[in-house]
Amino acid sequence: MIDSLFGTIKVQYLVKCDPAKTGLAWSVFLAQSDLLPAVKLLYRANYFLEDLTAIDAKEGYLAVYHFDHIDSPGRVALRVLTSHEAPELPSIASVYQGAEWHERETTDFYGITFTGNPNPVPLLLAPDMTEHPLQKTEAQRAFLWDLFPPAEPLRAAADFTLLTPAAKLAETGEA
Amino acid sequence: MHYEQLGVTEGDFYNRNFEKGAREDTMILNLGPQHPATHGVLRVIVELDGEYVIRAEPVLGYLHRMHEKMGEVKTLSQFIPNTGRIDYGHALGWNWAFVGAVERLAGFEVPERAQYIRVITTEINRITSHLLWWGAFTLDLGAITPIMYAFDDREHLLDILQMPTGSRLTHSSFRIGGVCTDLSEKFIETVRDFIPKMRERLPMYRDLVTDNVILRKRLEGVGVMDADMCRRYGVTGPVARGSGLAYDVRQAEHFPIYEGLDWQVAVRTEGDSMARYLVRMDEMEQSLNIIEQALAALPAGPVLMKNAPKVLWKAPKGESYFAVEGARGKIGVHLVSNGGEFAYKVKLRSPCFSNLSAYAEAARGTILADAVAILGSLDLVIPEIDR
Repeated sequence: MIDSLFGTIKVQYLVKCDPAKTGLAWSVFLAQSDLLPAVKLLYRANYFLEDLTAIDAKEGYLAVYHFDHIDSPGRVALRVLTSHEAPELPSIASVYQGAEWHERETTDFYGITFTGNPNPVPLLLAPDMTEHPLQKTEAQRAFLWDLFPPAEPLRAAADFTLLTPAAKLAETGEA
Repeated sequence: MHYEQLGVTEGDFYNRNFEKGAREDTMILNLGPQHPATHGVLRVIVELDGEYVIRAEPVLGYLHRMHEKMGEVKTLSQFIPNTGRIDYGHALGWNWAFVGAVERLAGFEVPERAQYIRVITTEINRITSHLLWWGAFTLDLGAITPIMYAFDDREHLLDILQMPTGSRLTHSSFRIGGVCTDLSEKFIETVRDFIPKMRERLPMYRDLVTDNVILRKRLEGVGVMDADMCRRYGVTGPVARGSGLAYDVRQAEHFPIYEGLDWQVAVRTEGDSMARYLVRMDEMEQSLNIIEQALAALPAGPVLMKNAPKVLWKAPKGESYFAVEGARGKIGVHLVSNGGEFAYKVKLRSPCFSNLSAYAEAARGTILADAVAILGSLDLVIPEIDR
């Protein structure tokens, strides 16, 4: 369903998951520029926003957006990567107003800036606090390919290597 | 801005931020953080034109404890007591969401008896939560008596819940792979006796409060939220079901025991505060049905799986998401593991957080007394919002 809904979007990586094993129906990796168009498609298809958070990994912050559907339940996870040095993502609060708070919370915890958020002030932490408590140290960070189990993608862009183990990547590079 | 023009620098960061968009001829008022109608420490800044609310903005964080960070520095088993303290109203719902996420990640099978015990205790907890809301909400509206009745029933139910969970408020009796104690004969007997008593009480509540003309005038047509608004804000639970969205996680995600029982998802289509009120009153009846049938079908067997994880158990790598229908809506736990004793990442999806985010839009244009009624009709538990 999602693969046809996202037909016009250049999806980096799309997997159909087993809900009994992961709780997800679809897992989708997107480029930053494709986030807002994808979210608009989900809104038109009557999805609602469940939550929004980030995962701090070696490659950067992976923002995770969970959506679900009222009439035909099945969780969709959209994932967008942003760098540690300049963490910035487009806000989706213009489509899903409920995202405003989730984005402010993610800014509090990880320091990611959401451009276009209508009220970008701290939500849960003190306004004068400069630390971001869920940021990990470099030693604590794991690789994304280590966190996400290998899967058979329905669609994958040729240049998408986030979930390919480094060793395997080196092998193919040598070959 | 008008304060600054007058040379006044009153209020804190949030006041000054809120005043930036204010009109010249309006008044800005802080409801809370210590306000009896917020049931906890919530602050709502409102801009008033006479009695009318032009703008409202909740200010959160007064009860923030950073449970998500604690999830990363405690082992998975050690985090279970935290889940009982996120939402004191429906602690077992949170228990279930967390252990469910771990079990899904590890692929554990929970013994059937333990699944039944989870259903029974979670539903009793749902009734205690709705009774707490019912008493406190009517108190917000100016009715003093109902909370006495509500707490009468609630105390009996807390006595009952104390038997298997060991606590009266912050229950944390679920374990990864089952529950910590079996149900005693005394528990089963007491619940069986209590169900008909509670069924007699509910019509009395209807006569005493629900059909009361003052209550109806305060709630009917107040704070209407339509289905699209619920989707835009991610509103779930009784609030969404009061707006005609027949969405219940117990049904939508095919919870094993619930599927075999005869019960209905309570739905109302009006979308106003009264609809949300009636959905919760119906849900208490449905919970009684579920408890009665689950008790009758309770199978024998173990309540904890063999080789259940100990404190230093390491979860497999990967991610899982587990959602539960809490008393206030969809409780979700997103767990990411790198194969260690600790979770790599725990995301706690609080239903009240999303429900309250819709409040600013729902309260716009209402009179201040109605804005308080709408706040109460959302059934907020502040520690759950702040986590």
